[in-house]
Amino acid sequence: MGAAEVISKTENVSGDAGKAPLIDIRNLRITFPSGGAEPKTVLKGINLSVQPGEIVGLVGESGAGKTTLARSILGVPPAPGRIAAGEVHFEGRQILSLSEAELRRLRGRRLSVVVPNPRAELNPLRKVGDQIASMAKIHLNVSRKEARRMALQMLRDVQIPDPERRMDAYPHELSGGMAQRVVIAMALICNPAFVISDDATSGLDVTVQAQILALLAKLAAEHGSAMLFITRDVGITAHFCDRIAVLFSGEIVEIAPREALFLEPAHPYTLMLLAAFSHSPKLRDSWSVPETARRRELAAGCQYADRCPIAQAVCRTHRPPFAEVSPGHFARCHFPVRHA
Amino acid sequence: MRILAYLAKRLVFVIPQLLGIVLVSFLLVKSIPGDPAVLMLGPTATPSAIAALREQLGLDQPLYMQFLIYVRNLLHGDLGTSWQTTRPVLEDLLQRFPATLELVTFSLLLAILVGVTLGVYAARNPRGWVARVSDLYGLSAGALPDFWFALVLIFVFYTVLGWAPAPLGRIDMIVIPPIPVTGILTIDALLAGDPEAFWSACSHLALPVLTLGLLNAGPILKITQSTMETMLESDFSRYEVLCGVPQNLVVRHALRNALPSIVTIISVLYGFLIGGAVLVEIVFSWGGAGQYAVQGVLNSDIYPVLGFVLFSAIFSLIVYIAVDLVYFLLDPRISN
Ligand SMILES: Nc1ncnc2c1ncn2[C@@H]1O[C@H](COP(=O)(O)OP(=O)(O)OP(=O)(O)O)[C@@H](O)[C@H]1O
Ligand code: SF4
Ligand SMILES: [Mg+2]
Repeated sequence: MGAAEVISKTENVSGDAGKAPLIDIRNLRITFPSGGAEPKTVLKGINLSVQPGEIVGLVGESGAGKTTLARSILGVPPAPGRIAAGEVHFEGRQILSLSEAELRRLRGRRLSVVVPNPRAELNPLRKVGDQIASMAKIHLNVSRKEARRMALQMLRDVQIPDPERRMDAYPHELSGGMAQRVVIAMALICNPAFVISDDATSGLDVTVQAQILALLAKLAAEHGSAMLFITRDVGITAHFCDRIAVLFSGEIVEIAPREALFLEPAHPYTLMLLAAFSHSPKLRDSWSVPETARRRELAAGCQYADRCPIAQAVCRTHRPPFAEVSPGHFARCHFPVRHA
Repeated sequence: MRILAYLAKRLVFVIPQLLGIVLVSFLLVKSIPGDPAVLMLGPTATPSAIAALREQLGLDQPLYMQFLIYVRNLLHGDLGTSWQTTRPVLEDLLQRFPATLELVTFSLLLAILVGVTLGVYAARNPRGWVARVSDLYGLSAGALPDFWFALVLIFVFYTVLGWAPAPLGRIDMIVIPPIPVTGILTIDALLAGDPEAFWSACSHLALPVLTLGLLNAGPILKITQSTMETMLESDFSRYEVLCGVPQNLVVRHALRNALPSIVTIISVLYGFLIGGAVLVEIVFSWGGAGQYAVQGVLNSDIYPVLGFVLFSAIFSLIVYIAVDLVYFLLDPRISN
């Protein structure tokens, strides 16, 4: 994959270059076996870092590689994908080189994930109280009774009505919104330093979505957790993300502090995206790359050239640099949009 | 509450189900050629003696009358008399059915132990050698005739090594059997506090149980393996991995979720083996119920056959109801 190999130096895209980042993802490349000799590269060298307590949004259309990134950070890319290259530095260690046992102890305790569609992800045969409590029991080495007490407290924190009774409920007895709260409780019970929320509310209706996102942000702040907030809906990120990265076809094409991204988007794709979202929900729904376009990866040049309205000849031949258009604001484009 | 409602519904259907089974097997047994009166009296019997006996046995009545009489007797707890043993069928079966039940139950326990253990192991290590061996095993175990496997085991462990007792029944001739309580020798021996009888019964169980247990582990292994693979790849297992749940705990939870399928195949095997163990019973002179029924078929002795069918049917119904109760306990989603 020529496109990915062009990335040679690690680009510093941390929000505050002065402080040491909490988590630093460097040149992460994930491939899937494709049947042919060349595996398919789904993440093409991701560089991203997050400061302690920071909330970073990651926006991308369906198939961009968001879930793959979320799971790969935890060392378990979706099967049959594999980590072809890259490092994840977290709390002073390169965690992708840890043993499986050490990595397991980080997952759910220091690094946790809020999954979408939780009614499928929760074990249908175990009471939700037990599932939450077992997080504490496994990771914090507390007694069964203490774990249950903590689980009950978490259910209160995520504002589930009648928490005592819900402890003994099974997942199928919960509404989608309640199941989502349960998964949030599981993600936060061990006070992780870093929470990844992967499209956490996509299945819920809009009002519930807003409530749950507000809750998630509030709890993350209370627990002192930094967060990577993954979503397809760029509008949501405007409410509480400190910085926002735009993922396109396995590549971060733009990253910027919130105001800069919304007021001065530099990448044509971001511009299109903001326009689409401010216009119509219909555009939002149809927002995904056709599979054929996705497969036709350019050996060199810009990934977005096929769809870009201002593409030039150079875009198809030369890979654009990831250039800093203003402090902390980077875009991968030969002709970044200028704002007067 | 739901369980009780369900049970009541189930039990309402038991009687018609049993009646149907009895009717069908009655017609089938009656369609087997052969006249019991002729067989009972032997080759030298006169036609008039035969006719007299036929009348006495009710064989001159039309078929539906014979059936009604049989059912009426059933309702009085009379399953007819076997002309071969000259004893009431109920008495014979109460003695022989426990023998079959003991054999089949221990075989099934062994099959579960082997099948579930290997199945879980193979699912955890899909490319390991156990998985490959289990593929082969799953294929070949179904293809091996059980009586042949029994003969091989007898040859090796009795004839060559001398470890196993002679394949002649359920207990040594010289050992006095315990007083029958359940009819299951191992349990009766324990109840009687008779270690000698207990060990003798166990040693006689060893080879037939090994035969049936190993052969029937095949389907349990296959189901366990495939269900466990599905469960380990399912969203909830993947989520547990993402949450840092240790691998052996992930497997334990997956097994819990796979149990309903495993219980199903076990119950099917249980019902099947009651009759399906007959060749092994014959090889080991087990004196079980299956053997008794086959003797009946061969000699136009219909009441043992019908009695056996009735016992097996009741047994299967009990197993299926028990399995449904297990489903209730295993899966909170089965609530409507
Ligand atoms: N098993 C697989 N084999 C090959 N390619 C795969 C496989 N699973 C996913 N991919 C590819 O990986 C890419 C990223 O998938 P991923 O699930 O990470 O996307 P996503 O951004 O999370 O999408 P969505 O918003 O729909 O959840 C997709 O383009 C998809 O084609
Ligand atoms: S590099 Fe060229 S094709 Fe790619 S986004 Fe910029 S202008 Fe468009
Ligand atoms: Mg996804």
